[in-house]
Amino acid sequence: MNTVNFVSIPASIAPDQEILVFGDRRLTYAQLNALVGRLSSAFKTLGLKHRDVIAALDTNSDSYIAAYYAAAKAGLTWLPLNYRAKDAELEYMINTAGAKVLLAGDRYLNLVARLAPKLKTAKVVAWGKGNAGMPRLEDLVKAAAVDETEAEVEDEDVSVLMYTSGTTSLPKGVMLRFRDFTAYVTANIEMADGGERGVALVCVPFYHIAGTSAMMTNLWTGRRMVVMPQFDPKSWLQLVQREKVTHAFVVPTMMKQLLDEPSFAQTDFSHLTNLAYGGAAMPIQTIRRAIQAFPKKVGFVNAYGQTETTSSLTVLGPDDHRIDGDPKTVELKLRRLNSIGRPLPDVEVAVRDDDGKLLGPSQVGEILIRTPRIMKGYAGREDDSKLPEGWRATGDLGWVDEDGYVFFAGRKDDMIIRGGENIAPAEVETVLMSHPAIDEAAVIGVPSVEWGQTIKAFVVKRPGHNVTAADLSEFCRTRLASFKRPEEIAFIEALPKNPLGKILRKELRDKGDTPQP
Amino acid sequence: MANQLGKRYLCEKCGTEVLCNKPGNGEIECCDGAMKIKEAKALPSSD
Repeated sequence: MNTVNFVSIPASIAPDQEILVFGDRRLTYAQLNALVGRLSSAFKTLGLKHRDVIAALDTNSDSYIAAYYAAAKAGLTWLPLNYRAKDAELEYMINTAGAKVLLAGDRYLNLVARLAPKLKTAKVVAWGKGNAGMPRLEDLVKAAAVDETEAEVEDEDVSVLMYTSGTTSLPKGVMLRFRDFTAYVTANIEMADGGERGVALVCVPFYHIAGTSAMMTNLWTGRRMVVMPQFDPKSWLQLVQREKVTHAFVVPTMMKQLLDEPSFAQTDFSHLTNLAYGGAAMPIQTIRRAIQAFPKKVGFVNAYGQTETTSSLTVLGPDDHRIDGDPKTVELKLRRLNSIGRPLPDVEVAVRDDDGKLLGPSQVGEILIRTPRIMKGYAGREDDSKLPEGWRATGDLGWVDEDGYVFFAGRKDDMIIRGGENIAPAEVETVLMSHPAIDEAAVIGVPSVEWGQTIKAFVVKRPGHNVTAADLSEFCRTRLASFKRPEEIAFIEALPKNPLGKILRKELRDKGDTPQP
Repeated sequence: MANQLGKRYLCEKCGTEVLCNKPGNGEIECCDGAMKIKEAKALPSSD
């Protein structure tokens, strides 16, 4: 079905329900639906037709959501651009996608002016006030009637072309179809019925799968969505209190910033029941700190997924985050806190070794998944992750325990092979980060004539703590097999990360030798 | 039983699933038989 139904069906059930909050603006389903209709007409006056690509460059807003649904209504492919991307990356994404229109927010006008001469097919349209002479979406919307039609989308039609963050290479355009989102949303989320479904605070960018899926699931289920233009910890805490937020999603870096924010202690969390996190691996210290700091009734949820799989695959629920019971249960729960949880009902998980043989419980290998919502493919390039019978190789390493909990052990490309032994970076990092003086750690393989690769660790000290490389080496000696111990330990100020908090190992590999303290 | 809003109905014979977005007194059928309600599992929301 066309994803515009995530708005239009609830709008027919509960037209007067307030569903969207952005700053001082508040929209009901009926108002949002009407705005979507007028925007869809405006897109058509720009000459856009079914299957054309429309690119969007701006921070989160209510009009961002309306524009996506208007694009869906007209059968267009939506290209949400990463506003932190460099000029060359944006040019690459817009041109390879063949976008016909680029919607440009006011804060990106200078960037777009630099970019415009290099764009092959895209016509720039101002998404705010714009510069003199630019066509403005606002003017087109004012003149437009509500579009009463809805594009008949077909099985292979792409709704969102989403370029992944690309921690290792050029961004890859993930083609997600209308049916991929429909499968995810209708299989996992109850439809709105006009009843109370809570309030969600959305602070992750809409160019990321977690942001895009949030704008579908919350609208479909009737959970009022409070949208932040961009995350900042102080405003996040204020909004939680002011809007009586019940549900929120953060990436690990944001969780840490929230815990470090001075106004945290004065914030009223009395409505917050569900705090989900994902997007990157969560350091165990941060989540343990969060469990202590938030009120007991806040249920934590760890979600693991990929853009290529239309959002979440596995979920570690609130019960698994409550560290209580007898000592044996506490030990088990602490171990499971490192887990990414169990598969959602429409997901199957398996683990295989390098020869393609399926592995049993607790054996580390590549995580394979099967779900009806795997992407159509990558735009303009081969997809070598497709396996027979609908399985996909995730490129992620991990294992599954006896009870079906999945554990993530890093990217397959990051696997270190030292003297023929496979070493998952996450295993070494977990040990390093369990040292009281260490805040964060990342390990990489460095070329070695003798071993093929040896292990180099980059660590960030906690403020006010002191530790030497020799101390850490000794600490690892008692906790890791000898071949897994880092041969080299470098202290750095901060780990290089992408905006979602994923460690940029490529930058670490490019770093030269760092002086020891 | 009459069709219910927001419920998914499954045909056990051919596998078709139907979602009800406006309820009525009727009862949906497929492959010459009544379709069964498919209960959604209660899940912690990750979004």
